[in-house]
Amino acid sequence: MAKQPIDTFVAELPPTVQRAVHQSTATTTEKRYRLLGDDYADSDALRKLAGAIRQHALEHLDTYLAQAEESLTARGAKVHYAVTGEEANRAVTEILQSAGITKVVKSKSMVTEEIHLNDYLAEHGIESVESDLGEYIVQIDGDHPSHIVRPIIHKTRGDIARSFEREGLGDYNDDPETITRRARKLMRGKYLAAGAGITGANFVTADTGRLVLVTNEGNSRFCLAPAKIHIALVGIEKVVPSDADLAVLLNLLGRSATGQQLTVYTEFINGPRHQNQPSGPEEMHVIFLDNRRTEVLASDCKEILRCIRCGACLNVCPVYRQASGHAYRSVYPGPVGAVLSPLLAGDKFKELADLPKASSLCGACNEVCPVDIPIPDLLLRLRRRAHDEHVPSPGTPPMEGFALLGSHPLIWRAAMTFGAAKDYLPLDRLPVPYLRSWLKKRTLPKWRGGKFRSWMKSRHGGNGK
Amino acid sequence: MSAREQIYAKIKTALDPLPEREPRPVVPRGVADAQWLRDEADDVALFVKRASAVGTKCFTSAGDCLSWLFEQQVGKVYVPDALADLTAKFDGIVQVVRQYSRGQVDEIDAALTPAAGAIAESGTIILTDQSTPDRLAALAPWTHIAVIRKESVHRSIADALAAMPDDPNIIWITGPSKTADVEGILIEGVHGPGVQGCLLV
Repeated sequence: MAKQPIDTFVAELPPTVQRAVHQSTATTTEKRYRLLGDDYADSDALRKLAGAIRQHALEHLDTYLAQAEESLTARGAKVHYAVTGEEANRAVTEILQSAGITKVVKSKSMVTEEIHLNDYLAEHGIESVESDLGEYIVQIDGDHPSHIVRPIIHKTRGDIARSFEREGLGDYNDDPETITRRARKLMRGKYLAAGAGITGANFVTADTGRLVLVTNEGNSRFCLAPAKIHIALVGIEKVVPSDADLAVLLNLLGRSATGQQLTVYTEFINGPRHQNQPSGPEEMHVIFLDNRRTEVLASDCKEILRCIRCGACLNVCPVYRQASGHAYRSVYPGPVGAVLSPLLAGDKFKELADLPKASSLCGACNEVCPVDIPIPDLLLRLRRRAHDEHVPSPGTPPMEGFALLGSHPLIWRAAMTFGAAKDYLPLDRLPVPYLRSWLKKRTLPKWRGGKFRSWMKSRHGGNGK
Repeated sequence: MSAREQIYAKIKTALDPLPEREPRPVVPRGVADAQWLRDEADDVALFVKRASAVGTKCFTSAGDCLSWLFEQQVGKVYVPDALADLTAKFDGIVQVVRQYSRGQVDEIDAALTPAAGAIAESGTIILTDQSTPDRLAALAPWTHIAVIRKESVHRSIADALAAMPDDPNIIWITGPSKTADVEGILIEGVHGPGVQGCLLV
């Protein structure tokens, strides 16, 4: 029987990975829930306020983006724009080449994953090392992150120990503390040898031009402290009006992402280092990237651009918990990815049009979303679009028969009467693949068809009124 | 057309058809404060409680700080001139280094640097480019102790955001550097300090 691509991934996922993903996402969801409950009488109201802040910012993006540019330029940063990922990659490469830099370190950034910056830099002879522990392991394995916040949620300590051994970082040792210490030592050398640090940004405030970077490891801080040049790649949708809005957004981000009141390091950067400061970049470049975000803004799914990449919707999603991240075949997995990935795919929409269907529309993603994105509604809009664009849908049973039955009362009544015959037919041996696969794990109850009609008629003394 | 012009034109095309645009929501100061904050009377005491809860070691006197450093048998301790008076008794008990340079990244075991402020609500230390003698000194050593003036403690995260200093680099530190990337197991001291401390003066 034809399957949705996501089902194929689930079928091939090792049970150990599935258990690890399930356990870790469930724990984080529980922590998030407890902390929000302890700290707020009405955390729902706060989510809705955060959603309104982000929606307002998006619907005034022309104003706020220009204001952010102005604020940054006034403080000595250089602002660039890139319509496509290719343009952004080229801009980064040109900045590095003109400064004669061949080694860079990177802190975790979804947008650089989106445009495959590391591959591009490697092709141009520039070594780019991921400094976030999880991202570094993804990089040396030639793998892809499977979670927005926890990139190696799909790997065991044994996998990591083997990768470290292969990279010459010492003998096999799967103790998480030893793994972390080895990464610390290795990364020190990389930080000090790098000419530039590349980061993303969690937010940009229009009024002061501050780029907000949050990490738990401190790697973004270390990427920048010894570097001469800071290059930040930022999606144009990251802008918020003012520093004051961050009070709402930062309080929700840490709690939603990892169950922390605040992430360990929250860095606010709006220019090159201060003149009295010996360490830190002398040059700061901010590249604002479109990469089809303006298309999303023009679509009926613009709310997805509110996303602050906390990963709470992945953690709570029953589909993500079973499927893990690679099943989504794109940079953004889980419910947010099921909306964003097809939208950012452009003319490859059809290849990812199955993702919006991989949902029971249970609504949990919307309930946990710190910016109240109506993800189930957006999934439905994308299903409609796939239907309108005649995207084939393998694994969907033909419904024409039921449509005929359900729209003709006479045929329906006849079916209710004669349906009782099904109790005596060997249904599992009929040549209908959908029925066969359905019956493999289930048994049908005894036929009760037509009972509703007779019950309805017998109400109120049998006159049906 | 430049990339900038193209992007602004596309934003205009996307937003122009909207019958109305989402108005700017009112964000009352303190709307995101934790609800228990109003029951707390003393900001400094709250800071110590919250900082300790996230694993930051709090000292309330230079003497306590010195005793602890001595007990830990730390090697070289970097103390900038700005903190010379405060740490007058350190010399001779621990090995004090007064200058910091990039070449010493792996040599210095502990560093004291002045903080720009703190946040009681979250137990957060605030550093800026202007308060920090060297970003690397406050980051690379295994132990970092930020010296916080009690009067610089903000009550809430919102208060700290309302009083952001004019500095190109502000960093909030809420506990030691940590990761849970390997099987969700918490390990401290990934790239930054494994021991984050503060000294309140």
